[in-house]
Amino acid sequence: MSVKVFRWRAIGPLLILFVIACVLWWLFADGIARRESQRVGTQMLGAKVEIQDLHLDLKNGDVSIRGLTIASPHEAFKNLLQADEIIADLDMVPLTEKKIVIDRIVANGLRFGTPRQTDGRVAAKSGEGIAGRVLAETRDWANQFQIPLLQLATGKISIDSLDPRRLSTIPAATALGERADSSRRAWQAAFDTLHLGPALDSASATLEKLKRARATDLSTLNEARQALDRLKRARDRVTTLDRNVTQGVSNLKSGLAGLDSARRRDYAFARSLLKLPSLDAPAVGAALFAPGAIKPFERVLYWAQLARRYMPPGLLPRATTGTSRVRRAGEDIRFPKERALPRFLLRNAELSFLLHPNSDQPQRYAGTLSGLTSDPAVYGRPTNFGATGPQLVAGGLLNHLHGVPVDTAGATVGGIRFPAFQVPGVPVRLDPGAAVTQLGFNLNGDTIHARFAIRSTNVRWARDSGFANSTIGDLIWRAVSGISNLDVEARLSGELHHPDLAVRSNLDQAIASRLTAVLGEEVAAAERQIRQRVDSLVNDKVGPVRARVNEIQTQAQAQVAQQRARLDDLQKQLEQQLRQRIGLP
Amino acid sequence: MFALIKLMQSLFGALHSEGTPGQLALGIVLGSFLGLTPLLNLHNAVVFALLVLLNVSFAGGMLGWAVFVPIGFLLDPLFDWIGHSLLLAPSLRGLWTSFYNTPIVPLTNFNNTVVLGSVVFALLFAVPLFFAARFAVVRYRATIGERVRQSKFYRAVMASKVYNVYKMFQP
Repeated sequence: MSVKVFRWRAIGPLLILFVIACVLWWLFADGIARRESQRVGTQMLGAKVEIQDLHLDLKNGDVSIRGLTIASPHEAFKNLLQADEIIADLDMVPLTEKKIVIDRIVANGLRFGTPRQTDGRVAAKSGEGIAGRVLAETRDWANQFQIPLLQLATGKISIDSLDPRRLSTIPAATALGERADSSRRAWQAAFDTLHLGPALDSASATLEKLKRARATDLSTLNEARQALDRLKRARDRVTTLDRNVTQGVSNLKSGLAGLDSARRRDYAFARSLLKLPSLDAPAVGAALFAPGAIKPFERVLYWAQLARRYMPPGLLPRATTGTSRVRRAGEDIRFPKERALPRFLLRNAELSFLLHPNSDQPQRYAGTLSGLTSDPAVYGRPTNFGATGPQLVAGGLLNHLHGVPVDTAGATVGGIRFPAFQVPGVPVRLDPGAAVTQLGFNLNGDTIHARFAIRSTNVRWARDSGFANSTIGDLIWRAVSGISNLDVEARLSGELHHPDLAVRSNLDQAIASRLTAVLGEEVAAAERQIRQRVDSLVNDKVGPVRARVNEIQTQAQAQVAQQRARLDDLQKQLEQQLRQRIGLP
Repeated sequence: MFALIKLMQSLFGALHSEGTPGQLALGIVLGSFLGLTPLLNLHNAVVFALLVLLNVSFAGGMLGWAVFVPIGFLLDPLFDWIGHSLLLAPSLRGLWTSFYNTPIVPLTNFNNTVVLGSVVFALLFAVPLFFAARFAVVRYRATIGERVRQSKFYRAVMASKVYNVYKMFQP
């Protein structure tokens, strides 16, 4: 009996199923694509991506997006950008390889930094995903710059309480005193073990006997020679002890010098308790503007690091977490290949955008973006972007083709109105007015060079009413209120994990010189006061120890000298008598 | 409860159908693919088409799917490990790179560790499963099959078909 292999009558229902699937796709594809684009975009950028309408026209390979809003990953109620309309020209063939290649994008009505009603940050709140990790890393990176604020808020120089337990002189003095006592005991013990008494007594007796002896009394002469030998040996022992005492005394003197060093350290420590303003100009610049200057660097670094994660160099397989589903997501592993298509490629984008959209005369700008890809080594060309307009020049290049990625960006934007802000630590508010802002950024491997500058010729100053009666407030106000231009520059250079930050402004010298003039005397008096306070705590301990050390060294040295003198005297007399007895001159 | 009754109906329907043990076993094998591997993937569309088009037991397929879905969930860590080992094996990198850059193949999600691991496992498991299922059906029909068919329990379960028919025609 033959068994049929195929169930031909099932083709009909299968075709119906296929048609149903096609109809469902036709009905819901736009919605699915919109939701997926929002989900993936939000996950990648670490901020909410919202799309009002998305339409797929697979027949012509077009994707049109209307009402795109991307929230800022850094600011709660601000958008990174909004776009009225984006039309993408999609290459259809690569879709069969699950690759997205966009030949051209035209974006109209881009607006930057617009306000939003809800908090659009995602990575900042959840800390999850690549964006979350990069955001946390850049935040930690920015936090490494500990900028001391100018302590001018009250206009007084205050001194924190000085805890005697934190002074190093007192334990050093105690230790030196114990060492001196220990040395004295050791020397006394060594002196006792010399046994000089018997040698001296024996030599004295022999001397007396020798005085009465005749030249032929050989036994007495021999006895005198033996006494001389004993005296010499005793002298050698005394010499050894003398060396030890000298060495010990030298150590104790070093200890006394160490007490002086400890006291200097205590002075420095006590000075650190003074809340003194930094009076040198670079420190003033850093204190005033560094907290604000770090932010643009942090944000640019966030985007650069994100680009490095999503656009890694090289052709090795790369694993990413798979699409979430009810079953375990697993990992998706990509296998880039030379001379093949990258997984994502945007060949060219033309951007048209507005700056100052709410002003009477919004300014229209144009920009381009080319070669944005997930696999730079496969595509073989770096990513370029640029924008130009009446008061804007911006450009950038992301070169991830080789092992060491190089990211460079620069922008000069004019006519930007910054909001007025409270200058940190200083009782004045600064309204920079319409300023020219420059940003330069180069991240070569792990070496960063970046510059951020603001220039304005129309700054306005407002005095903080809370400091109306403050001397320092008056001082700062007089120093800055006459200055109408602002020139701030922050530079960052060195290894990415620990770069050097230098901030200068045209206000630095003005503020620093006024501060030095007025506060110099006050600072000197405060330093004298704190030194006296240290001395009063330390002298009670150091004085007795110093006296004890001096006494011990004097006593030990005198004891040794006295015994050495007795030995020398006896030896001399014995030798003289001996020479007389045997008839030597 | 309704799902359980449906599963029992599938089970008894398959075991007491006129299909040969081989057809039933092959249906179970194809169903096991649907259950063991993540469902929404291109290879499962092919499996489903085979289940419909080939002269195998569709009820057996549904039975295999129902039985192997929980097993698939349980074995996901194993599938992940298998897929990871295969995809990152240096000796296979050329093959995967070639697959990854060939049209249609990437749509199968073969480069996902769980998908590849589960498909490989299901393929290897298919042969023993086929023979075990065929042997079990033969033994069932030869031993207790007729007694089960005559039992009240069997009649009660299969009687719920009346309810199904009623459901089909209700407004």
